[in-house]
Amino acid sequence: MPGARSLLLAGIVLVLAASVGAAWLHEMRPQSVVRPAAQTAGTRAEKPQPPALTADEERFATALWAVHREATRSAVAMSFAGIAYQTENRDARALARSIEPLAKFFHDAEIEVRTMSPPPSLSKTHGQYVEALALYANAAAEMLKFIEDGDSQRLDVAHRLDVRASEDMLRVGEVLWPGQYKPH
Amino acid sequence: MRKRSLRIRPFAWTALIAALVCLFDAAAQAQQPVCSVWLIESSRFMKVPFGAFMPDRAFVPGSNKPESSIPTVDLPVNIGVIKCGNELVLYDTGWKQQEYLKMTGSDHWAPLPDQLKVLGFNAADVTKVVIGHAHWDHAGQLSDLPNAVLYVQREELKAIEWALNYPEPHIRAINSDPGGCYRTPACGYMPLTIEEVYGKVLKGKAVIVDGEMEILPGVRIHPAFRAHTAGSQLLEVPTAIGKLVFGSDAFSSYEAIRDWMTANVQQTDTVQQFLAYEKCYKITGGYNNCVSAHEPLSYTDKYPLTKNSWEALNGGRMAEITLAPGEKSRKP
Repeated sequence: MPGARSLLLAGIVLVLAASVGAAWLHEMRPQSVVRPAAQTAGTRAEKPQPPALTADEERFATALWAVHREATRSAVAMSFAGIAYQTENRDARALARSIEPLAKFFHDAEIEVRTMSPPPSLSKTHGQYVEALALYANAAAEMLKFIEDGDSQRLDVAHRLDVRASEDMLRVGEVLWPGQYKPH
Repeated sequence: MRKRSLRIRPFAWTALIAALVCLFDAAAQAQQPVCSVWLIESSRFMKVPFGAFMPDRAFVPGSNKPESSIPTVDLPVNIGVIKCGNELVLYDTGWKQQEYLKMTGSDHWAPLPDQLKVLGFNAADVTKVVIGHAHWDHAGQLSDLPNAVLYVQREELKAIEWALNYPEPHIRAINSDPGGCYRTPACGYMPLTIEEVYGKVLKGKAVIVDGEMEILPGVRIHPAFRAHTAGSQLLEVPTAIGKLVFGSDAFSSYEAIRDWMTANVQQTDTVQQFLAYEKCYKITGGYNNCVSAHEPLSYTDKYPLTKNSWEALNGGRMAEITLAPGEKSRKP
């Protein structure tokens, strides 16, 4: 007759073997392809997060932010100058009063940012930002030319330049300030 | 005998006129076209802290109260697709995910033209777009709707312009902080979005609305100023199941409208948000036909209006809300 200790040992071995077997079966079982719609939400693999910036990169991002905060405001102000011109009284002088300071801002900002020294890892990003400011400056210049010669195609050109500039700015933002726009 | 007929005649005339008025009214209502309505999930913001969305539903660790027991919610970004006769109207247009605008933390985005195709529509067929407000996640993709006329409140534009020209840099900023902003006056109006609005104006395809406006028979814009942003606007739509009211972020949450709680407070006066809720109750006779922009329970039985739903592109969901007589179902 086996003793109580032997029975207990055999029991433990059996339980362990059953656990290993169950775990093996669970791992080997093919995953179901079709899931009910309610279970699909939020169960995808986490998207890769952008890598954290180094200290040098952070310093550059902080320095550029001071310009960026005013640049985004000025970009929206340029659109608003166009909206006001089209929807209110088509007052060319009022449009000029709105655009002239923006043209100066983008021109000066381009020079300021161009002289900044980014870490080598951000040289492409830096270049994109300078390009965006140049595009905005060109857009403002086109709007001022429209005020002089009345050629409305210049407004279309300016708008296209604005859009490209804003896309470039978002590209930079994805690198330097990925959380700059929140769900609204 | 003659005397009695004289006494009856005024009553008979009144009754006849009343009957005619009733008949005329009924006929007019019967003639008013009803619209078909679908809802598209443009994308979903994942794992948003519930308290950030609805302050009265903030998660309290260890609390037994049901209203404090949910830490995060996934917020759909809903777009209304409204077909009235030959007119195809969108209410809000979501946003456009690009390699330069990934919005880490969001999921299930699909291009609006592709989503419309799932419903059997072409983007070029959209005739009107009413934006509840001009925030980036509700007024994007306008350039993908080449023939649509945009409806935006003048009050919305005026308020942004006021903020942009304010002397204090934090108040005038589109981005007041690198980590993002929520509630400063110009926050949420990203340059690319406003350029798309300007693009519509430039092409002569924008209507700047002052308050209330009927854009199609029975389809009415109602101002809801400061109910989410300065120039928020609702859209009343006649349908076979009664009137619907789309609210964008003035109606961010169906549960909030039902339970009289504020939601998604941005450039919001909460008193005005409650008045917007009341408007929906008055127009529709309750809360069930108020169409919410971000209700976490959207496309489930718990938000009954949207329960007739299915999963479409990239895991994003759609719902067929109601069909006009003769309109075929577009649910696969």
